[in-house]
Amino acid sequence: MFQKFYRVFIVLTLAAVALSACAPAATPTPQVQVQQVEVTRIVAGTPQVIEITSTAAPTVAATAAPTSMPEGSIHVNAAGATFPLPLYTEWTYAYQYVDPSVAINYQGIGSGGGKKAIIDGTVDFAGSDSLLADADYTAGKDLQMYPIVASAVVPVYNIKWSVDLTATPAPTIPPLVLDRTTLVGIYNGTITSWNDPAIVALNPGLKTFLPAAKITVVHRSDGSGTTEIFTKALTSFSPDWKAGGAQSVQWPVDKLGTGVGGKGNPGVAGAVLNSPNSIGYVEIAYAISNNIPFAQMINKSGKTVTANAASLASAMADFANNFTPQLTNTIVDAPGAASWPIAGYTYLILHTTSMTDCVKAQKILEYIKWSLTDPSAAKKAADLGYAVLPSDVQKLVLAKLAAVTCNGNPVLK
Amino acid sequence: MQKQSKFTPSQSWNARLQRILRHGDRPWQGLIICMSLVVLVLMVAIGWMLWQQSANARAQFGWGFIAPTLSGNWDPVNNIFDSWPFIYGTLLTSFVAILIALPISLGIAVFLAELSPAWLRTPLGLLVELLAAIPSVVYGLWGIFVFLPAVVSPLGNFLQNTLGALPVLNLFFSGPIQVSGSSRLAASLILAIMITPTIAAVTRDVFLAIPLSQREASLALGATRWETIGKVLIPYGLSGILGAGILGLGRALGETMAVTMVIGNSIEGTLSLLKPGYTMSSIIANEFAEAVSPIHSEALVEVGLILFAMTLLLNIIARLLVWRVARKTPAEARA
Repeated sequence: MFQKFYRVFIVLTLAAVALSACAPAATPTPQVQVQQVEVTRIVAGTPQVIEITSTAAPTVAATAAPTSMPEGSIHVNAAGATFPLPLYTEWTYAYQYVDPSVAINYQGIGSGGGKKAIIDGTVDFAGSDSLLADADYTAGKDLQMYPIVASAVVPVYNIKWSVDLTATPAPTIPPLVLDRTTLVGIYNGTITSWNDPAIVALNPGLKTFLPAAKITVVHRSDGSGTTEIFTKALTSFSPDWKAGGAQSVQWPVDKLGTGVGGKGNPGVAGAVLNSPNSIGYVEIAYAISNNIPFAQMINKSGKTVTANAASLASAMADFANNFTPQLTNTIVDAPGAASWPIAGYTYLILHTTSMTDCVKAQKILEYIKWSLTDPSAAKKAADLGYAVLPSDVQKLVLAKLAAVTCNGNPVLK
Repeated sequence: MQKQSKFTPSQSWNARLQRILRHGDRPWQGLIICMSLVVLVLMVAIGWMLWQQSANARAQFGWGFIAPTLSGNWDPVNNIFDSWPFIYGTLLTSFVAILIALPISLGIAVFLAELSPAWLRTPLGLLVELLAAIPSVVYGLWGIFVFLPAVVSPLGNFLQNTLGALPVLNLFFSGPIQVSGSSRLAASLILAIMITPTIAAVTRDVFLAIPLSQREASLALGATRWETIGKVLIPYGLSGILGAGILGLGRALGETMAVTMVIGNSIEGTLSLLKPGYTMSSIIANEFAEAVSPIHSEALVEVGLILFAMTLLLNIIARLLVWRVARKTPAEARA
């Protein structure tokens, strides 16, 4: 049996050697001739032998204009925050039609993972909602963050109103209003019931509707940029918030047994929808897409605001002059009368001087510039609930982008 | 012609190869040993990696990291980490799950192997195996939307009013359970549902492997069917049944997705089954991707190390148990 197998093996090997010996004799055809063959094939039918020698790639190279690169020939790898992932997916898809030569692959692995990846140099650029630490700037010397869009985080609620909603005429229920200290009180577990005097005082219109029910407080269970924005806002709202502002914190309500963690924005939205008399926080896009009511806030200047593009733009404008040299900025608890108080930027992170593939570097910067300036990109962002940068911030970012160099030469012309 | 001449020298080579293959015991043995060593190497490599990657966390927190404490801290902002809430959550949910699943799956297995009419045996057995193949995320989703509000929440209230009123048990059944049902109890029940088919399928095979002569002998001595099952078949297959239980326990300890979706992910300070909790695998899954500070990720790796060691330890204990039982059983069953 082994002998049989062995013979077959020998024969196959000989056949392979013979074939490979034949091949060089047949193939050394100059590229120009390949093109001619292609023409013959189209005009005069299809002799099979010729089809083997003519491949698709040289044909494309021969017919395309000499300056432009072949489709999808530059692969850009990126990874990071999941919060802007829906937007980046739309953008990179649309960008294929703007510049077919570049294929951008953005993986949503989380801000922390994105930061690790750009420091280790395993991606070409990273996305992050949270800021780089000082240690990260020493680990990756030329890292620079670029704000791309901003988004609001909203308190979502699911209250079982103590009123018959099916009655005629149907009772009109105004949106819940919270102020900064009340929100901190709820998340600290000091305000435990929906008919707490602090909440009732802020909502005279809801006085008879608010139930005497315990508040279930929902938070993110996974580390996330959304949590960082929210807890930074709480820290700024009141000195009573002791847990700090970070991607994951120790929630005081957990100790009291009234806190629940949901995984991801969808997890929080689901937990709020499933628990009567609960409150949670999500990116505004998730509140809108899941049709969950979100609270209005009384901001720092004492005005009642609702989260939308205008109040977000106002918050960005309030802090337009506060950018650090790394272009980072915190826009929570904005002082402006029309500003939404719980908001944050999402960033892209690039190496500014150590990129060595200059063609790729140029393609990346062109893409970022397109996403910041192109009207169609802005429209996609607005459709998904993100707010584009105000013009002065945009100018700042574009100026920083122009400073990126590759092998000592500026990348953007 | 050319081919002929080429073949002559290769004939001797052919013969040589045949000779090697004829006395092929040694190469094969080497190959097989290499394959089995892969398991050992993997095991050691994983353990070593976890040990290495958690060096700073181990040095900083010492044994206090796993010390039982009710007020467990897990504070990534101030870098204070205790793993006890997760250890407790994992042990409690797995223990309760196996407590519920073992008798149920034993019942299923006995029915399938001994009592079921022949026409029902195959479809029912297939269904049980199918249940074992459902992905855990599906269990989690079903749990959130159906099982928790419909079963766990009312059951929690019932347990709080009954067992929660008793002296010691009120530690474990102090409520109230959240309206959505997210709790350690929910995780235990989902785990029980998930591991029941695994245990049942293996236990059924154990019963089917028991020689018919055992049953015949028992029945011939005048034992009833139930006496045969209880006094002959279960003792005879006990080591196999325990093995099935270990398989289920292993799955319960490591299960991540379904548990994360229903347990509430809250580091909570009581022992109660009715309160939301956290497990070791869920804290790793939840926080590892976004653990920015090095000590935070090292603490998570250390939690992984503890889980690894715990699984290993439980497996060793269980294996010893099986050996003890296996050595005793055949003699008893024959007697």
